[in-house]
Amino acid sequence: MISLNDCDPGFKFEVAAEPGGAGIKACFACAACSARCPVAGHREEYDPRRIIRLTLLGRREEVLSSPLIWLCSACYSCQEVCPQQVRFTEVLTAIKNLAAKAGYAPPSAKQIAGLLAGHGRLLAVTEFENEKRAELGLPAVEERGADYAAILGIAPEAAEAGEEA
Amino acid sequence: MTIISTPVLILGGGVAGVSAALELARRGVPSVLAEKGPRLGGRVRDFCCKATQACVHCGACRLGDLLAEAAARPEAAFRSLALAAEAQREGGVWQVELRPQPDEGEADPLAQPLAEKTTVNAQAVILAVGYEPFDPRRKTRFGYGRVPGVMTALELEAMLGQGVLVGHDGQPPESVAFIQCVGSRDESLGNLYCSRVCCGFALDMAGLIKEGWPETAVTFFHMDVQGYGPSWEEALPHMRQAIDFVRAMPGEVSAGENGPRVCFAGPDGQPRSREFGLVALSQGLTPPASAGALSEMFGLNRNQDGFLGEDAALAVSGAQGVFVAGTAQGPRGIVESIDHAALAAGAAMESLFRAGKEAAHG
Amino acid sequence: MARVCLIWVERPGLEGLDPAEVAKRAGLSLDPGGAIPAAVVTAPEWAAPPAVRSRLAGKPAQWLDLAGEVGGGPAEKRLARAAAAVARAAGRAALGTLPQVYTAQPAQTVLVAGAGLAAVAAARQAGLLGHPVILATPFGRAAQAGADDEAEEVSLLAAQLPAQVEVLAEAELRHLSGAAGDFTAELQTPQGAQLKRFGAVVLAPAGGYAPPELGLDPELAKPVADLPPEGLAGSPDKWLQAAVIAGVDAPATADAFARAVEAALALQARDFVQTTLLFSEARVASEGGERRYREARQAGVIAARVAAGGLEVAQGGRLLKWRDLLLDEEVQLRPDLLAVAGPVAAALPAFLANPVLWPAWPQLVPEGPRFSGGRTARSGLYIIGALRGTAPGRARRVEAAAAAADLHDRLTQGRATPVPSVRNTACASCLTCVRVCAHGVPRYGSDAIVCAPAACVACGMCAAECPAEAIAPPGWSNPELIAGLEAGLAKSAGTKAVLFACGQSGAQAFAELCRQGHEWPEGLLLYPVPCAGRVGMQLIMKALSSGAAGIMVAGCHDGNCRSVSGNLRARLRAGETAALLERLGLGPERVEFLHLASNQPRRLAQAVDRFVSTLG
Repeated sequence: MISLNDCDPGFKFEVAAEPGGAGIKACFACAACSARCPVAGHREEYDPRRIIRLTLLGRREEVLSSPLIWLCSACYSCQEVCPQQVRFTEVLTAIKNLAAKAGYAPPSAKQIAGLLAGHGRLLAVTEFENEKRAELGLPAVEERGADYAAILGIAPEAAEAGEEA
Repeated sequence: MTIISTPVLILGGGVAGVSAALELARRGVPSVLAEKGPRLGGRVRDFCCKATQACVHCGACRLGDLLAEAAARPEAAFRSLALAAEAQREGGVWQVELRPQPDEGEADPLAQPLAEKTTVNAQAVILAVGYEPFDPRRKTRFGYGRVPGVMTALELEAMLGQGVLVGHDGQPPESVAFIQCVGSRDESLGNLYCSRVCCGFALDMAGLIKEGWPETAVTFFHMDVQGYGPSWEEALPHMRQAIDFVRAMPGEVSAGENGPRVCFAGPDGQPRSREFGLVALSQGLTPPASAGALSEMFGLNRNQDGFLGEDAALAVSGAQGVFVAGTAQGPRGIVESIDHAALAAGAAMESLFRAGKEAAHG
Repeated sequence: MARVCLIWVERPGLEGLDPAEVAKRAGLSLDPGGAIPAAVVTAPEWAAPPAVRSRLAGKPAQWLDLAGEVGGGPAEKRLARAAAAVARAAGRAALGTLPQVYTAQPAQTVLVAGAGLAAVAAARQAGLLGHPVILATPFGRAAQAGADDEAEEVSLLAAQLPAQVEVLAEAELRHLSGAAGDFTAELQTPQGAQLKRFGAVVLAPAGGYAPPELGLDPELAKPVADLPPEGLAGSPDKWLQAAVIAGVDAPATADAFARAVEAALALQARDFVQTTLLFSEARVASEGGERRYREARQAGVIAARVAAGGLEVAQGGRLLKWRDLLLDEEVQLRPDLLAVAGPVAAALPAFLANPVLWPAWPQLVPEGPRFSGGRTARSGLYIIGALRGTAPGRARRVEAAAAAADLHDRLTQGRATPVPSVRNTACASCLTCVRVCAHGVPRYGSDAIVCAPAACVACGMCAAECPAEAIAPPGWSNPELIAGLEAGLAKSAGTKAVLFACGQSGAQAFAELCRQGHEWPEGLLLYPVPCAGRVGMQLIMKALSSGAAGIMVAGCHDGNCRSVSGNLRARLRAGETAALLERLGLGPERVEFLHLASNQPRRLAQAVDRFVSTLG
């Protein structure tokens, strides 16, 4: 049982205010997105219009804490078929950002973030990588290269601090 | 070059145009109607009767009455193969140049083909140029023109009018699907309006199919069912028993083994697909192809949806003496178009009165 | 018997027919020119040359759309069919004409009873068309309207009423009887009651909205038009919850849905108010309806689709429960504000409830396509606006304009037919005609049946049903029809069959098939009638006794009869005749009724072919 009085009417506005989230409120539940979603074909709990619906009703915690929002493969099929230009793939990015801010990022996302923060890449650079590169005639790469701070958008000092940490 | 004068010139000879001529005649006002094609009657000529146990009030049969009345009304003169090419207003009179169109040998018993370039001097003009059906090729994912067995609702209508129903393989289909709102209610296409007639049109055709081919299963993909009066609301529950109403817009129509395969979301939100012998796309009504040219020619507004003439302009009976009747103004059914012509004719008559008064005083 | 000549007017479709041969076979002489006693013309009156029309003025003439009767096939067959059709028409023309029936001139004054946009627009249009108009409004002035109309729009129009319109304030239409050209109305005003004669009557009672029956507490649930005052708002910690109901048991009309959407938008625009719009179908088929619906969602309105009848109302609406169809979960809402959109409605004038003078609503205001534009079955009576459920705004102007033109046409004889003639010496005053006429033409006067002067559409149902042959529209009496039937059948060849075809459906489809060159069975005699309801049992029996092997009656589909029940009456009579034939051992299959529309020529051709082939 959902009580609308206990839902958060502001949630849909919050999502809409995030970059990419603007289209969320236009949805009129035609279900074209769900028809085309390849993820929904594999995970039966996954249903784009259900996520939209819960968001519109203001089920803040339920949406942000849901592991389902992280399943999107970003194929953009839903976005392409939507007659109301909801742009669900982008809406979901907005929702994921809100979820991350609220501390709901799933373990895998945290792991990825840690890799990025630690190495400037999604993997640690070791001798193995550079040996392989040398065989291919490619220059060696450094763990946290010169552009590390720029890419991550952090000040060099913070990068230094991160190194120490 | 011929010059003719008339109080009112009507452009378009479909039900709205012919009705406008009749509405004027009932008021004692003569008119000249110019139809660009060879025949009067417009698109309604191609609509069949959809009565099953009883009349379903589509109004297509009214065309016969209209043409019979038109024949007996000396006030209305009909010209076929006459296209309005230019217009200018001078001293409160529209001078509209009509150009003859190529004759394809199909004559109308009521209309006289335009023989040469003709200038019509008219105090008022009624535009009744109809609508353009949405081209479903613009909605590529529904497979029109690509997937055998996918047709437009109008094509299905033409087939049913001949008493025939064949699907993708040339055989009577075991199942038929209607997909609604193709080109309507669609922000991505810029068509943010309901075409109003398609729910009734499709479900009436579904009724015809269920009557003539009772074994054929019919599925109706839709978002909302629009209303068409008390008896329609009464009939809806019965339709829901005979027809499978699926409240979902399909995502795609592709070629399947046994006919077009429609993929759609089930009530649980799960994608599923089903093959049908025939898929009919209920294409929406879009503004007439000539809307842009006519709005420029006659200095007429187009509304937000691109149709001719805003409501307010008509209500104050346009200072320019230009009025719009029927689907050229917005999506409406056959009977609605016939009646809508009364408003345009009434407003045109008022403008003639006003012009007469001004002339008397001025 | 008058000697009948054939006047040949060449028309597309008559190619290859030799006029002299047709006349000879039909037993007529070809037009010698000059004065002739009676004639059959091969074209409808409108298509005949003016000289022919003036020569035949006042003469017994049968205008035949011969091109719409012959069809294709071998020359010999076409000739035989043309001769039979001409003979049929000549049979009727030979009877001569009845003297013109005297009736009073139709009254020209128009009564518009009601208020609001529809009433004012109708009064204005009728006035501009030159009719004296009485606008009888229940209010103090013409500009006042019901709750459903746009006040400003009505005022603007009321200020432009032409001089012909007299406004009767605080007036009530207490009683109405009659039909086009001859209505009698009793109007009650503060100055007393007055009885007046009118040519046409437009009913447009002031409208309002009918709230749906949902068991809502009126203290909480308000019509969408009565939104709470400005300044009402929630707070960031405590949003106010508003609900707008737009058709949850039965779907809303497009107009009611649009009003609900406007209300939802207005409520949602307040600070910290969350509005939920509840509906079973989003009825967006109004102009701008879809656009506004999207705007409402964009503004934050929650669109909640509820299965029809699926809204559970508790505590007078203070608790609403429904199943979210998409989530498949129960949802509940305790609204602080509740607005309800209902359809437009108006009170039914009390006099219409009199079952002696007025038919029930479905018979008076049929829903079919022939009764649009404010028309009712009763000639000269128009019902427009809220009482008819017409949406406010443009749709009401449309009705008013259509009604004004129709009444003007009717009262000025544009297409009126002469009134039925009544033979008082034969009339038994059984009132059958009064009962069967959907248009209200005959009524019982002081001691005889009298007919309203501009009301008859010549459907001929009175003539078919009158047990004494005492009434018929001119040209459609039993003796005339039987004379034609006998003459036509006498000249028909082969297996003879008669197709009685309604002018609104069967005859039009028949003509269309002829234009397409359809080849009809040799002995088929078409008998066009103004309405299938004209074909009574007597005509069918007469056709059989005159040599026809079978009779088919082609009338309109159920619900599409111009005279409301002419088709059903014809079907009933055909069925009764078939039953009688069965009792007599003559085979019931000889008589058949076919429902048809004018645009179903193929259906007619197939039915006729099948029917005639069974006659053998």
